[in-house]
Amino acid sequence: MIAIDLKRKVLNENDRVASELRTGFRDTGTLTLNFIGSPGAGKTAFLERTLQMLPEGVRAAVLTGDIQTDNDAIRLARYGFPVRQIATAGACHLDARMVQKHLRKWNIGEIDLLFIENVGNLVCPTSYDLGEDAKVVVLSVAEGEDKPLKYPAIFRKAELMILNKTDLLPYVPFRPELARECARRIRPGIEIVETSSLTGCGFERWLIWLDARIHMKRAAPGRRAAGVRSAAC
Amino acid sequence: MHEMGIASSILEAFQKELLLYPGYRAAKVGVLIGEFAGVDGESLRFCFEAIVMGSSMESLDLGIENGNGDELDVRRIEFEPVEREEVCA
Repeated sequence: MIAIDLKRKVLNENDRVASELRTGFRDTGTLTLNFIGSPGAGKTAFLERTLQMLPEGVRAAVLTGDIQTDNDAIRLARYGFPVRQIATAGACHLDARMVQKHLRKWNIGEIDLLFIENVGNLVCPTSYDLGEDAKVVVLSVAEGEDKPLKYPAIFRKAELMILNKTDLLPYVPFRPELARECARRIRPGIEIVETSSLTGCGFERWLIWLDARIHMKRAAPGRRAAGVRSAAC
Repeated sequence: MHEMGIASSILEAFQKELLLYPGYRAAKVGVLIGEFAGVDGESLRFCFEAIVMGSSMESLDLGIENGNGDELDVRRIEFEPVEREEVCA
């Protein structure tokens, strides 16, 4: 009998590709955010509103993942930014190799901000590093406040929680303070922004967060800070 | 159901090591799954058994140890010598 202690990451091949992606994003100063949320949490609508409101001059691009169809890519492409659909044909998550493959046709050096919209799923995408700077979890008020407790892995890894669809609050028995408390029980330092993609409420705060992260990432001498447009609430 | 992909990755890691030990066959692979790894141990076992069934890896046993963080590691692999008559058969 031969026994060997390995201590090797199961997803080490994914992690290797993710590391290559991260190095590329670092070299080009591309801020990359990986959006994870349940189906119907409003990830695509959130990104649509974000693209609409991005400050002039921000060179954004979107990779959007779904099991089937290019419906989301068609929606997102209406705002004039490069968009590619990743159809996983059954896989419940994006992995680093899929991202790498779909980025090949773009010059990453011309992208300041890359949004990756993961497949709608709060569990599986959490395990796969895509080389991103941060994971962003999207939770809608049409879900349960205790989602962070039920699906702790993603709330533990996400730097930012978008509490979305706040325009529905008058019609649903959702307590935002309880959702915030549950999220902070899992990750005390998680930042939380409440938004409505329908009305644009909360997007000003989200765009300030985004603007700060873009500038942190690029930190290019002499680069002019882009302003943030206001949303009327 | 990403456990299927994870089961395949575990098997690939094991097979790479096995190639370095001619004359030995698969015995056991031990994995550590953290509480926040986003992987269900029973689903993983189901997928793993489905993958190895009927293959040369059928004798491979999957051992699962639970961790507290987001670990998802292959921790230990075990091979056993192939009996001479099996080699000659």
